[in-house]
Amino acid sequence: MTNRPKRYALAIDAKKCIDCKACVVACRAENNVPLSKSRNWINEELRGDWPKLMQIFEPEQCHHCEEPACVRVCPTGASYKRPDGIVAINPSECVGCRYCMIACPYDARFFREDLGVVEKCDLCARRLDRGELPACVETCPSKVRIFGDLNDPTSEIHQILEKRQYRVKKPEAGTGPQIYYLL
Amino acid sequence: MKTIEWQYLIVSYLFLGGLSAGLFFVSAVTELFRRHGDSAKTEIARVGALLAPWPVIIGCTLLVFDLGHWYRFYKLFLHFRWESPMSIGSWLLVLFICASLTYAYGWVPSRVRGGFFERLPKRLRFLEFLNRDVSGLRRPLAIAGLPMSVGVAIYTGVLLGAVQSRPFWNTNLVAQLFLFSALSGGCALLILVLAASPRKFEMHEFQSLYLLDVSFLTLEFFIVVPYVIHGELSVEAVRKSLKLVLGGPFTILFWVFFMGLGLLLPFAIEVYEALPLLLRHAQFVPRVDTATVAAPGAAVSILADPEQSPSRKLHFSRSWAVAAAVLVLMGGVLVRYIFVFAGQMSAIH
Repeated sequence: MTNRPKRYALAIDAKKCIDCKACVVACRAENNVPLSKSRNWINEELRGDWPKLMQIFEPEQCHHCEEPACVRVCPTGASYKRPDGIVAINPSECVGCRYCMIACPYDARFFREDLGVVEKCDLCARRLDRGELPACVETCPSKVRIFGDLNDPTSEIHQILEKRQYRVKKPEAGTGPQIYYLL
Repeated sequence: MKTIEWQYLIVSYLFLGGLSAGLFFVSAVTELFRRHGDSAKTEIARVGALLAPWPVIIGCTLLVFDLGHWYRFYKLFLHFRWESPMSIGSWLLVLFICASLTYAYGWVPSRVRGGFFERLPKRLRFLEFLNRDVSGLRRPLAIAGLPMSVGVAIYTGVLLGAVQSRPFWNTNLVAQLFLFSALSGGCALLILVLAASPRKFEMHEFQSLYLLDVSFLTLEFFIVVPYVIHGELSVEAVRKSLKLVLGGPFTILFWVFFMGLGLLLPFAIEVYEALPLLLRHAQFVPRVDTATVAAPGAAVSILADPEQSPSRKLHFSRSWAVAAAVLVLMGGVLVRYIFVFAGQMSAIH
């Protein structure tokens, strides 16, 4: 192991996704997300013309950007980026102004009316700190999600991104998203 | 999950904050450039100063109640983050409210102030130290508050413009548009208050206000036009977002109610009213409203200078002034409504 800081990221092999939504359910259970909201979701897209049709499922959540717009606009510093790259929210500092929700190009945040604060995916930071995988990654039955440290050359995500082509969503937003969709 | 998070409370705040900034700006500029003993300019500065703090105070209260928990607003003042327009804005608002309140206090007549402190109950007598004449501070406060008022007016636009992910907002023109709309709103409210007050007022009080408002409306117009043209010539995301006002849900509101009724119509009314002044350096002379005058010959009798040639007579009418001012204020509300809602609906696709 090198002494380089960790840079957690997620690679998504969307072709394997079967839209079972186990990741959404696991996240809901792990993070106590109310039923009307979601920290992660699956985009559906129908491509082509009949009879040559293709249904695409693409899981999405917070992109844990390199230059997060939400962190920049937050007036109190409640939204912050951890040294390992995870973009997290400190609920005790959040005033509920929702500026971050408006600034997020991926609409990955939601407002908890009951708590008066904004929430979003934090890659299950508590689980990571215990040495476990994020709930969505652990639960995915078709192994769509590959999670790991980009700065560790031995990690699966590092090796797969070396070998395979990928894209990121909305790179033109300039925030440096860290969810890599394998092609 | 796409939701419209900022709604009517934010629209109201953006309008009220801008209105206060405009009132302070017009009052301070008038105070700084008026000739000594010019009673009309003094009246504009006085009314502007006394009105200025209240809209922004109401607006900030609305802002606080828009938060997740209103009582957490103090956390905004435990931090200063120069990268966040909202953080800069909150501090700016505090400074501006303090400056505008002190400035307004400087315009309260000593008789009224003395009477107020005399009536104070015994328990509140410790506030007696506030019973002092700060009218001498009017000019320094006007100078100090002027950049703050411009800052408050611009910041409401920067708050929206700084969001890269909303192509409808992400241009410097939004800040400029909000600035001139705010200043014009301040002028309009002053025109409205002076014209609608039952107190007898001097007609030439309106000269400088009309000229200022016509200038601000012109600037506003020449910001909206390049905003649309540049947007159409920009990248796909911006073009798509502009569809919201070019064929989308906000089209009629934007072009008919904001551009037409809220900007061009009051502009036309004010230019018509002030044209002789612009062309011939004439003074305002009241034109008598047919509705308010019983005798048909009365119009001639009240001309300020009967020697004046008929072409230099002015079209001043109180009802036109009120109409133009109300339309400008309506335009100010609408432009903020359209930008707040359309901006949140726009996205990078």
